[in-house]
Amino acid sequence: MREFFLRLIPVGILCCLALPSAAQAQSDAAKIYKANCVLCHSADGSGDSATGKAMHAKDLRSEEVQKQSDAELADVITKGRGKMPAFGAKLKPDDVAKLVAYIRSLANKK
Amino acid sequence: MISSLLTLLTPKAFAVPSYSRQTGLPCASCHYAPPELTPFGRTFKLEGYTFTTKAEVTDDKKDHNAPLHLLEAFPLSILFDTSLTVTKSPQPATENGNFEFPQDVSLFLAGAWTSHVGSFTQVTYDSQGDHFSWDNTDIRYANKAGQLFGKPFTFGITLNNNPGVEDLWNSTPAWGYPFVGSNAAPSPSAGALINGALAQDVAGVGGYTMLNDHWYLAGTMYRSEHIGGAQPNAGTGFGLNIRGVAPYWRAAWQTSTKNNYLEFGSYGMHVKSTPNSVVGLMDSYTDFAGDFQYDRTIPQFKNDVLSIRGTYVRENSTLPATFAAGGAAQASHHLNTAQANVEYHFGTRLSGTAGLFDITGTRDPLLFAPAAVSGSANGSPQSNGYILNVSWWPEQNVDLAVQYTGYFRFNGAQTNYDGAGRDASANNAVYVLARFVF
Repeated sequence: MREFFLRLIPVGILCCLALPSAAQAQSDAAKIYKANCVLCHSADGSGDSATGKAMHAKDLRSEEVQKQSDAELADVITKGRGKMPAFGAKLKPDDVAKLVAYIRSLANKK
Repeated sequence: MISSLLTLLTPKAFAVPSYSRQTGLPCASCHYAPPELTPFGRTFKLEGYTFTTKAEVTDDKKDHNAPLHLLEAFPLSILFDTSLTVTKSPQPATENGNFEFPQDVSLFLAGAWTSHVGSFTQVTYDSQGDHFSWDNTDIRYANKAGQLFGKPFTFGITLNNNPGVEDLWNSTPAWGYPFVGSNAAPSPSAGALINGALAQDVAGVGGYTMLNDHWYLAGTMYRSEHIGGAQPNAGTGFGLNIRGVAPYWRAAWQTSTKNNYLEFGSYGMHVKSTPNSVVGLMDSYTDFAGDFQYDRTIPQFKNDVLSIRGTYVRENSTLPATFAAGGAAQASHHLNTAQANVEYHFGTRLSGTAGLFDITGTRDPLLFAPAAVSGSANGSPQSNGYILNVSWWPEQNVDLAVQYTGYFRFNGAQTNYDGAGRDASANNAVYVLARFVF
C-alpha cells in the first residue's frame, strides 16, 4: 500500500504542474475573448445583446458556427467576414488557436 | 436660463476616423449617420473607446511587471467645415450670406490610450474668433468587469468638460439634433443651463455603469474651469461660476430586438453659481429632463433606419444674485424646453430629418431685455420653430448638408419681437455645409 502511494506522488506532482498550465491556457483564452469578442458576441457567445443584434453577430454556440473546422474559424477571426473585422493584425496565431478552442468550449456551456 | 440656445444651433463633433482606423470598421458600424450612434457605437464609447483590431505594441503582465497595450497608429483625426448661411432678412448693418471658409477646423486625439483608457478629445479653430480653443473632451477609464448579480456589467470613470458629452444617446443636448448648424444666424436667447451653457467651461469627474445591457446609470461632479481665465479662478468676467460642485445625473433604460431599439431616460443637473464672482449671493438652477430614442431598422428597405428622438427639460431657477445686480426683475423663474425630431436614413448615403423645438418660461423684462436682433421687447423667453435637414454622404467621411431653420416665434413674439421692428421669420435661415473628416 505504501509503495502504491509513493508511486502516486510523482503522478500528483505532474498533475499539479499540468493543471495550472491548462487553467492558464483557459484563462488566457477567456481574456482574449473578453477583450476582443464580447462586444458583439456577448460573454456567453450568444450575441444576444443590443450590439450583437445590431451587428447581426453569430451565435458562436450554434451549429452553424460549431460545424466549421478549426482552420475555418481561425480564418474568419484572422481575416474577418461580413461585418466582423479582421483580427489578424492584432492576434498572434497561437492566440487565435486559443480563441478557437474557447469558442468550442462555449458550445459545451450552452 | 441665461444661456442662449447655442447648442441647439451650433455645430457638434462628428464621427472620428481614428476610431475607424483603430477598429478596422467603417464609420457606419458606429454611426447611422455621424454623430448618431448605433448600438455598436454606444458600446464602443461605453467601453472607453478602447476596442481595437489593429496592431499594438504589447507586453503581457508577468509577476510584478506592468503590462503594455499601445496602439501602433497614433489616433489623430482632422475635421474641416466650410459653410454658407443666408437669413431671410439681414441683421442690421451687416451683409447677408455668410461664407465661412473654414467655419471650423478640429483636431481630434481620439482612441485607445491604454487597454482600459481612451479618449474623445477635440481642439477647434473658430474662424470668427480666429483661434484654436479646447473643445469637447471625454477621457474615460472603462472596465468590462464581467458580471454583477449574474448579469453583464460594465463600469467606468469619465473626465470631461461638458455635462452630457459622455452620454451614449442622441436625444440629449450634447449630441442631439441638429447635428450641424450655423454660427452666423441669430438664435433664441433663452435655453436651459444643461443645453450647453456650461460646455467647455467646466471640469468634471464622474462614474457610470451599464448593467445587463439595459440599465445605464451615471453621475458627474463639475467645477468651473474657465479656459483662458486666470487660475485660481476669481470669477471676474464669467457669468457662471459654480459654487462648490454641480452634480449631473443620468439614468437610462434600453432594450432591443433584431430590428428595433428603444431608450427611455432622465438626466439633470443642479448648479449654484455667482455671476462675475466666487463670493456673495448665489443663483441656483435645477434642470430635470426626460428623453427617449427609438430606432427602427427596416429590412424590406435594405436596412434603412428610421429614428425618432425627443427630450424635455424643465429648469427651475432662483436668481437672487442676478436680481440684486439688476439683471432680473424677480428672483424666481422657470423654463421649459422641448425638442423632437424624426429622421430617415437611406442606407448610409442620405438622411432627412425634421425637428420641432419649443421654449417657454417666466417673463422677465430685465433677464430678457430688449435689444436689436438678440433681445425681447416683451421680456418673454418664448421661441419655437422647426429645423429641416438633408445630409448627403458621397463617402462616409464627407457630409454635404442643407438645413433650413424656421421660427414661429422668436424671443417672445412673431412680429417686432426685439422692439426694433424685426420679425421672428426674419431669422429663418438656410445653412449649407460641406464637412470633411479624415
